[in-house]
Amino acid sequence: MTNHIERQAKLLKASARAAKNITTILDPYELFQRTVDIICDEFGFYYAGVFLVDEARQYAVLKAGRGDAGKAMLREEHKLAIGGNSMIGASIANKKGRIALDVGEEAVFFENPHLPKTRSEMALPLIIGDEAIGALTVQSVEEAAFHEEDIDALQTMADQLAVAIQNSKLHRQEERRSRLLKAANRVGKETASILDLDQLLPQTVNIICEAYGLYYAGVFLLDEKGEYVVLRAGYGKAGKAMLEEGHKLRVGTDSMIGACVAMGEARIALDVGEERVHFKNPHLPHTRSEMALPLVYGGKTLGAVTIQSSEERAFGEDDITTLLTMAEHLAVAINNARLIDELKEAHNEILRNKVFEALTAASTEAIHWIGNKTLPISLTVSRLREELAADGKVDADSLKEDLDMIAESAAQIIQVKEQLIGAVREMKPRLVLLADAFQAAALQRGVSSETLKLSIAPEAAYVYADPTQLVRAFGNLLQNAVEAGAKTVRVDSRLGEERGVLEIRIEDDGAGMSREAQSKAWSPFFSQRGAAHHGLGLPAALHVISQSQGHMALVSEEGKGTTAALFMPQGRAVRAELKAEGVKSILLIDDNDDWSNLLSELLKGSTVKLTRSTDLKKLPAADLILVDENVADVSLDDVFAALAKAKLTAKTIVLASAINPENVTRYLREGVKDATVKPYSTNELNELLK
Amino acid sequence: MTTILLVDDEKLIQRSLEKTLLRAGYDVLTASDCKSGGEIFSQNADAVDIAVLDLNMPGFDGVPKNDAGLDLLNEIKKTKASLPVIILTAYDEVGKARDAVSSGASAFFVKGREQGLVELIQKTLKLDN
Repeated sequence: MTNHIERQAKLLKASARAAKNITTILDPYELFQRTVDIICDEFGFYYAGVFLVDEARQYAVLKAGRGDAGKAMLREEHKLAIGGNSMIGASIANKKGRIALDVGEEAVFFENPHLPKTRSEMALPLIIGDEAIGALTVQSVEEAAFHEEDIDALQTMADQLAVAIQNSKLHRQEERRSRLLKAANRVGKETASILDLDQLLPQTVNIICEAYGLYYAGVFLLDEKGEYVVLRAGYGKAGKAMLEEGHKLRVGTDSMIGACVAMGEARIALDVGEERVHFKNPHLPHTRSEMALPLVYGGKTLGAVTIQSSEERAFGEDDITTLLTMAEHLAVAINNARLIDELKEAHNEILRNKVFEALTAASTEAIHWIGNKTLPISLTVSRLREELAADGKVDADSLKEDLDMIAESAAQIIQVKEQLIGAVREMKPRLVLLADAFQAAALQRGVSSETLKLSIAPEAAYVYADPTQLVRAFGNLLQNAVEAGAKTVRVDSRLGEERGVLEIRIEDDGAGMSREAQSKAWSPFFSQRGAAHHGLGLPAALHVISQSQGHMALVSEEGKGTTAALFMPQGRAVRAELKAEGVKSILLIDDNDDWSNLLSELLKGSTVKLTRSTDLKKLPAADLILVDENVADVSLDDVFAALAKAKLTAKTIVLASAINPENVTRYLREGVKDATVKPYSTNELNELLK
Repeated sequence: MTTILLVDDEKLIQRSLEKTLLRAGYDVLTASDCKSGGEIFSQNADAVDIAVLDLNMPGFDGVPKNDAGLDLLNEIKKTKASLPVIILTAYDEVGKARDAVSSGASAFFVKGREQGLVELIQKTLKLDN
């Protein structure tokens, strides 16, 4: 009796300890495995196993088993029919514990090859409320190891286990719900900020699959006719393959997606084999559950999302709720992206119209201009013919005037050709001293040094451009300013906000332009200054600046003036060692301008003596004579005459800011040694002095 | 002798037309914009028998303007409503021709067909008389 009481007390204690440990475990897999271990360890049993009833309530499926026998049976997906010929099946069916004291004598015992030593077994139902959710098996190697009283002691522990299983299930459901809500929020949050459909849709399927751990997700959008839904994004390799095939489904009842779009309702197949409308997809052979969620915005179905799992009955109520919320977010994001697309298209349409208008205006201006310039030629020729035909007598003065008119018209046409072609000549970009380019342009266009005011920051002294083209562009801008009545043209160069880019502002106090004139200012052949002007200066300047990888903007106010802002690549002068190579003295015929100061700076510290002068009466002796092509104080003809008189022409090199082949030919004919571009760096000076 | 007021800002066209008209036996007064054209007309209003005005040229403020010739036409008509006026243009546009006629022009002439200008002047003067 005492032994019996002690045994009961020991069983109850062990049962209480096991129950205490079991109830703290929330993870279901850990719960089952730890349970069988705790039971075997506390009671010293040979084997313990946990079975749970499947959804169809047909079988008790083994979820955990002690030791190697348990592992082997789990691998085999061991299950027993409820109410069938097994201790577990009968225990669940009757909701009562059962004992087989000598298993060989127990009629309902199932001979298990994995547990050959079992001689006693107890099966305890796991009951929640009135329902048996599974059963616990405990087995001993001893015959008659269990007593009827032991059932009560161990049933308490089994009841605790059933509660723990229920808690774990609730916890799991709660955790899953939380995870699903987070995933839905993530889809909503991340997709809301993407306004490009080609980015939005692939991103969405990735988020869905990653967040929910799903086999596949895809987004279909309705085509323009509303006949098909076309796959626009699909997860993984299957998605890629289907996109490449141009996968689409007819709207209607042939497929889950088609039916979902046709009805504007979600469709769910928890076992796709049972869903009549499911489309058997060879790219997705493992799909066992599928959800098709409509994408509806403002009462209009835009498409559908397919969500697929490789597990049967993968989607619960919570999944459906959160995925529907996600689909609503996605529909809003798709609608937003489409609105942006429509806005972009509308903008492009406006732009196309504007470009067409500008081209039409430019062409009209060009035709008008060409007509006006060629007209005097045809008029004069026609009149001359009539005169000759009438009396054969031609007034010499009148004839001379007519020929002059023909010549002038032809010259204007050639001049325009030069302006048009000049800007598209081959570019030879190099380092250019900004101040020199402006001074050369001013001199060429007759802009006085009083009018042009330069303010150039040391770090913004050089640009990288073709000097000839740049001087032409600057000249056009300066000429425009002066022709607009500017008294002062201020040029300000400094480093811009963008790294490596100079901001060059050319600001005049001329007449400025009306808004209408500004809108036409970039068009070739548009001019505010009458028939004598070609209207090509600004477009040609723009062309040159664009070819130099720069850009240009114009701000103008009528009566106040115009500012042209040029943004150009910054040039950097690299200091190097000067190699004079036999040149000991240089005479520079030039003004005191920025380039002559630069030359003086480049020669500083060398053995070369530099003398600058514009006094042609006294030309000092020198090894080399450099002549700036653009000298304000003296004319080049006078310079050549003085050099010839002093027999110095052969030692002379003419230096130009903007090289011109016609001028070079002329200088060489004068007998100079060479004519080339001005050096702006030590390396270029070394080349010159070679 | 018939006197023609010829206003065109294209210097060479103006001179070439002037020579053609002189050769045809007309007296020609020339100007290059609305302002000078208006002034010359005011000084010679009685003598001018017909005006040939360019459509696009500098207006009364000296700034090039579309349809400035119609502005000058209006000014001239205020002084001499019966004066026949021919509008010259480089644009072969029906709309512009309608505008010119509704402003009181007798004829609209597209540049480039000058051989017919003298005949058009003769015809216009004949019709007006």
